[in-house]
Amino acid sequence: MKILKQVGILFGLCWVSMYIERLLPITFPSSVIALILLLILLLVRVLKVDHVREKSNFLLGNLPFFFIPAATGIIQYKAAILSNGVAFLVICVGSMVATFAVTAWAVQLTMRLIDRRNRK
Amino acid sequence: MMELTTSPFFGVTLTILAYWIGMAIQKKVNRVICNGMLIAVVLVILTLVIFRIPYENYYEGGSLINLFLGPATACLAVSIYTKIDLLKKYWLPVVVGCSAGAATSISCVYGLCRLFGLDREMTMSLLPKSVTTPIAAAVAEGHGGIVSVAVAAVCFTGIMGNLCAPLMIRLFRVREPLAAGLGIGACSHAMGTAKALELGETEGAMSGLAIGLCGLITSLLSLLFDLLP
Repeated sequence: MKILKQVGILFGLCWVSMYIERLLPITFPSSVIALILLLILLLVRVLKVDHVREKSNFLLGNLPFFFIPAATGIIQYKAAILSNGVAFLVICVGSMVATFAVTAWAVQLTMRLIDRRNRK
Repeated sequence: MMELTTSPFFGVTLTILAYWIGMAIQKKVNRVICNGMLIAVVLVILTLVIFRIPYENYYEGGSLINLFLGPATACLAVSIYTKIDLLKKYWLPVVVGCSAGAATSISCVYGLCRLFGLDREMTMSLLPKSVTTPIAAAVAEGHGGIVSVAVAAVCFTGIMGNLCAPLMIRLFRVREPLAAGLGIGACSHAMGTAKALELGETEGAMSGLAIGLCGLITSLLSLLFDLLP
């Protein structure tokens, strides 16, 4: 029953989020709306982590599993990927390196500024 | 025999079996290239190709597994919530770093897509590729991208991030473990975080925090995707 309740809470949240997504005038993924709703419910202590613990451990612990069908769908697009193979590789690696560098430097710069202010 | 593959039981069983084998190999070999999910996907594709089973038949079961992606994304809230103390303590560097990272990733991908002359469908599939799979897939889908391409790009980026993380830390002379962790999480989500955890506790925790936060920021920034030419 405990697990069933947790499934009910999470599926219910997702269903409510789909409704909210439809009401919104913008394109915003309903699963992220569900994430924000759950985070708010946890922060205002309407829900406790205990209310979703087992189910969320199950989902997050096996997260890669749930992506296998979506990733397998790539066989339907092999032409698109192969014809853009080089672009695909360069875009993935290039943007990753840039993202790492900017994030790390932004964090170090912010920390240095905070340090300097604290010393004054 | 072939009609039987249209049963959802076929797709679900095949996926679980492939994942089981994939994870067993991952545990044994312990190399990023031998990622359990990657092996599972290759196994499923091989099975479909060798036995000439249409993807649609497999998808009867696959769609049931897809159903859990929404709830799984929502559960990322739990992992953000359990790190809330860390977030409160370092909120400024964390928020600044993740926002800068998410913005860099999106603008960099967009610029490169234009450079290579990719069409809108491919561009929208690649734009969210630095964040965790559930959010990237949802964002890509919402803006007319191809979910499978987004998932492939996310996985490839993650594997590269995992492999390159120590090298990038040295190359860019990142001395703060906090900065290194956030950087890894921002550029290569959970697969990078696996490496960050090996580097140290702070790196791992920060990397984990960056996954959720960068995902959130990216989905907020994705509101602007429709404005892109």
